[in-house]
Amino acid sequence: MEVQPDLASDEVKHLQRCINDLVTVLALPAIWSGGDPSHVLHTLLDALMRMLRLALVSVRLTDPVGESPLEIVRVAEQRGPMPSAHEICEALSQCFKNESRKWPPQLRNLMGEGDVSIVPLPLGLQGELGVIVVVAERTDFPRQTEALLLSVAANQASIGLQEARLLSQQKRLASELDRRVEQRTAELATANEGLRKELSERRLVEERLGQGERELKRSEVRKAAIVDAALDCIVTINHEGCITEFNPAAEHTFGYRRDEVLGKRLVDVIIPPSLREKHRQGFARYMATGEGQVLGKRIEMTAVRADGSQFPVELAITRIPLEGPPSFTGYLRDITERTRARQELRRSEAFLAEAQHLSRIGSFSWRVETDEITWSEQLYRIFQIDRDAQVTFELIGTRIHPEDLAVFQEHIARTRRDRSEVRLEFRLQMPDGAVKYVHVAAHIRGDHGQLEYIGAVQDVTERRSSEEALNKARSALSQVARVTSLGVLTASIAHEVNQPLSGIVTNASTCLRMLAADPPNVEGARETVRRTIRDGNRASEVISRLRALFSKKSAVTQSMDLNEATREVIALSLSELRRSRVVLRPELADNLPLVTGDRVQLQQVILNLLRNAADAMNTIDDRPRDLVIRTEPEDEDRVRLSVSDVGIGLEPRAADRIFEAFYTTKDEGMGIGLSVSRSIIERHDGRLWATPNNGPGITFSFSIPCRPGGVASDGTRASRIPSVSGAA
Amino acid sequence: MELRHERRASERPLVSVIDDDDSVRDSLPDLLGEFGFAARTFSSAEEFLASDCVDQARCLILDIAMPGMTGPDLQRELKLRGREIPIIFITASTDQTVRPRLIERGAIECLFKPFSDTSLLEAVNSALHLK
Repeated sequence: MEVQPDLASDEVKHLQRCINDLVTVLALPAIWSGGDPSHVLHTLLDALMRMLRLALVSVRLTDPVGESPLEIVRVAEQRGPMPSAHEICEALSQCFKNESRKWPPQLRNLMGEGDVSIVPLPLGLQGELGVIVVVAERTDFPRQTEALLLSVAANQASIGLQEARLLSQQKRLASELDRRVEQRTAELATANEGLRKELSERRLVEERLGQGERELKRSEVRKAAIVDAALDCIVTINHEGCITEFNPAAEHTFGYRRDEVLGKRLVDVIIPPSLREKHRQGFARYMATGEGQVLGKRIEMTAVRADGSQFPVELAITRIPLEGPPSFTGYLRDITERTRARQELRRSEAFLAEAQHLSRIGSFSWRVETDEITWSEQLYRIFQIDRDAQVTFELIGTRIHPEDLAVFQEHIARTRRDRSEVRLEFRLQMPDGAVKYVHVAAHIRGDHGQLEYIGAVQDVTERRSSEEALNKARSALSQVARVTSLGVLTASIAHEVNQPLSGIVTNASTCLRMLAADPPNVEGARETVRRTIRDGNRASEVISRLRALFSKKSAVTQSMDLNEATREVIALSLSELRRSRVVLRPELADNLPLVTGDRVQLQQVILNLLRNAADAMNTIDDRPRDLVIRTEPEDEDRVRLSVSDVGIGLEPRAADRIFEAFYTTKDEGMGIGLSVSRSIIERHDGRLWATPNNGPGITFSFSIPCRPGGVASDGTRASRIPSVSGAA
Repeated sequence: MELRHERRASERPLVSVIDDDDSVRDSLPDLLGEFGFAARTFSSAEEFLASDCVDQARCLILDIAMPGMTGPDLQRELKLRGREIPIIFITASTDQTVRPRLIERGAIECLFKPFSDTSLLEAVNSALHLK
């Protein structure tokens, strides 16, 4: 994503201008070559005036060698009669106490009217050569880039002046030599004249050569320092399109060493083969006609690295403002990241559209003041409205189910009035009669006068039908669980019934034998009959408990005593628990409020919790297998039942999963008990949860309201509890 | 007659009934008495081991599933003590597969509650090598 492109573009333009100026300043020594200090300073001051739009610039050389003192002043516009250059320089020097080395780097508001910034630039390492003073009518002067330019200019001037001084010294020495040689020559024979001439000329040539090389070298070093440090790739080419400079950033970006590419055509180095011809033609056209589409603009193009990989670059080309055959500087920047970010934005937009499609969620905005409504593509799809259509409430109304239309309109009117959050569910009716359920949620944004709702519309038709399917599956699951627990219970039922039966049979046999004896043992027989009756009643109790638990009655909500229901379950489970060597301790609260619910289903849950607790302890041998079942009132209107064991407990991770269907930690479990238990409790408006004990083991608890919402009066409520047909 | 009865009672072989169920403990001694055996009842294996019956009983009628020490636990314990009393297991369980396993481990018989008086008599006689 591009952040504030205008700003970035301005910044780039500014930097380009700065670099151009730097190149110009760096090119000055070439112009100064052979000139005197006055020539150096005139050109420099002109250049600075132009580049920095100065109000005034002055220079005073404090140590002119063999020349008259040099003072030059440039003024942008003359206002009235101007004092002489000497007067101005004198005034400035007075300001700065003639101690240029101690001058502050910048002074403000010293002269005349208005805000001006005055910057002294000492010449020479210690300011020994003199000082340039620049004055600009701007308080932000000099900006960072201008300060850089000024310091480079001052350095260039110092070097130029020193060289000019050197040159004039050399000239003086040379003429002195000439004079001496002439003297000597006069003394010697004229025959030596040819030799003398030759020597003199050779010396001059050599001196000039040496001087030229030195100048070039210095200029190169300075330029290289700037170019090398640049973050962008800087490549210069000559009029033939051949590379004459290739900075480290370019080496790094393109994967070539500078010495590999110098002299090669730029087009052949960094342009992908397929585009080379086009670039060649463009360059040739520019060279022929001076027209080009590239120069001075910022363009994006594809470049190629040494390894052949291609990548996007941003390119700006400027013509180097030097005389002679044209040459150009290209600034290139690898914009792979920027391009990728842009592509990613496009991709995430595509993802969003796809996600809306898949999740059947459409988004919208609604300007409350103007009723301007904007829809995402998916929303048109949900409403089955043509994408070109102008969305209005009237148009939306044609799709809303007639029975829901009034509610919808009422809601919109209220939203307009209250600026409240939107959250509603209603039906749509498609032209073909199909009905869709949609859920709408929106919140308000913006300030007064520009209020806008941003929201989403979800097609929940499928969820609706799957919820129904889920309910069916859940009740089927509950049946399975019931059958399963019955299977496991069979053994305990048989055990429970066989005990009294055994007593009955034995007593009856004994009775017969006692009566058959001679004489009959009537008293003994009477005792056995008493015991037979007792055992018979015991068996009968077992049977009636079973009948209560497995009666064919469908689900009924009734007012019931949870303690009593719990006691029945305990009675049924006791022998099974005893065989598992579980020590059961019931702690049932007195005065427990009645609850309203399905007795059989709640007993099923209690039974399940007891069996789970017993199972959790069947490998425990180092401590008593204590099991506590507790009932207690919770808050004012709820009742809680909890079952605590001292068993193996749960791994922390399993705690989240134990309530999932078919998740089991037991070797033989089906993993539906807790899942069904939870759904039963939730249908009683209660909750079922597990907490690890302080000591070993775990506590399962459920809490249900004494009167689940509206059970007694609201018939639909009861029908929500799936009927459970007896599996017996 | 009273005297004869007592004398005979002292000569009767002692059968111990060990079961946590009241109905069994209440009913079996009378029936065993009718068969001509003396009987003593215990509600747990631990109670039996603590009594002098360990050395006197000629036969055990032993419930399999009991809180604490189970029937088979007691069988192992007695074997360890070198006191091998013939054992008739009784159980209210319906799992028929336990019978062959118990007999294989040395039990005389395994009866499923409710059992008939004749099958009990046969088993006790068999334990005492009376027939």
